[in-house]
Amino acid sequence: MKTSDLKLELQAYVDGELSPDRRAGVESLIAGDSQAREWVEGLRQISLLVRTNEPDLKVPSSREFYWSQIKRQMDQAQASKEIRPASAALNWFRWVVPAVGVAAVVVVVVSIRSDRQETLLASNFDSMQTDSSAVVFRSESDGVTIHWID
Amino acid sequence: MPAPLKYDYPSASDEELVKWSQCGATEAFEQLIFRHRDKIFARAMIMMRNEDQALELSQEAWVKAWQRLVQFQGDSSYTTWMTRIVINLCLDQLRRQKRVRVESIDELEEESGGVERLMPIIDSNPTVGMEQVELRRHIDEALGQMSEAHRTVVVLHEFEGLEYKEIAKRVGISMGTVMSRLFYARRRLATLLVGIKRERSE
Repeated sequence: MKTSDLKLELQAYVDGELSPDRRAGVESLIAGDSQAREWVEGLRQISLLVRTNEPDLKVPSSREFYWSQIKRQMDQAQASKEIRPASAALNWFRWVVPAVGVAAVVVVVVSIRSDRQETLLASNFDSMQTDSSAVVFRSESDGVTIHWID
Repeated sequence: MPAPLKYDYPSASDEELVKWSQCGATEAFEQLIFRHRDKIFARAMIMMRNEDQALELSQEAWVKAWQRLVQFQGDSSYTTWMTRIVINLCLDQLRRQKRVRVESIDELEEESGGVERLMPIIDSNPTVGMEQVELRRHIDEALGQMSEAHRTVVVLHEFEGLEYKEIAKRVGISMGTVMSRLFYARRRLATLLVGIKRERSE
């Protein structure tokens, strides 16, 4: 094992990151190696030192001011949360309104086309009537239809 | 659980304050902030080394905590939950900053093996004889002299108590890199503390 790998292994031992097998291996190594023992002790000391002496820093503003800034952000977040459902409904309308509009246009176009077709048929009939001077008479009660063609 | 009158908040436990806050009692939440604001700010300050950013991120952490309070189930202590929130915000901020910043000399030295050559093993406690207040200040000073990458690993391991695997996941690096950064950072800390002690005694 390279020295740098060994040092990382010793550190992992100090940090409790080794499997039981590897841990036992390191323990037997440090039992017979004074330098490895020194490394372990040094790492343990610095770790404990830092862990138990976290810098004690204070918020550089008064309680009231700090809280007022947080409260303002909380209120803003709450307000935007309340607005969100309305905007969601607005989004829904944004999709529905054009769809309804398109559907309305389609209905109008279809109805216009169908009117035009009816007009066309009627005009054909008229012209046919005009051209041919044909008259149709039907009696439902007698079950008779009479065509006069000039 | 009914919320107490305002004057009861200072004597309530964190668990009680959290429960009342979960029911919407902002006064209870204010009490939680008052109780733990320095710790949350300190964690942000150690990570960012910038008072304005630390202040802003610590406040953002409290707002996020308020919004996610319903998710807090009490699996860990409230302060642990809070420090995780502020640490995550700091990591996000550092990632954004890193996109426009080159790596520090510290990291280059580590890559080239400079640390192995330059730094002696710590063979005695460099802080013997120091008062705790002074010691904390020196540790803060030493952390401030480290690169952001090394400081982050120290904070996550020593203060947050995270395992290598979790640090690797959070920072987005391999476990091997976590181990080498932590190793380097500890030696650097030891050396810096020895230097600070020497300066002090001269």
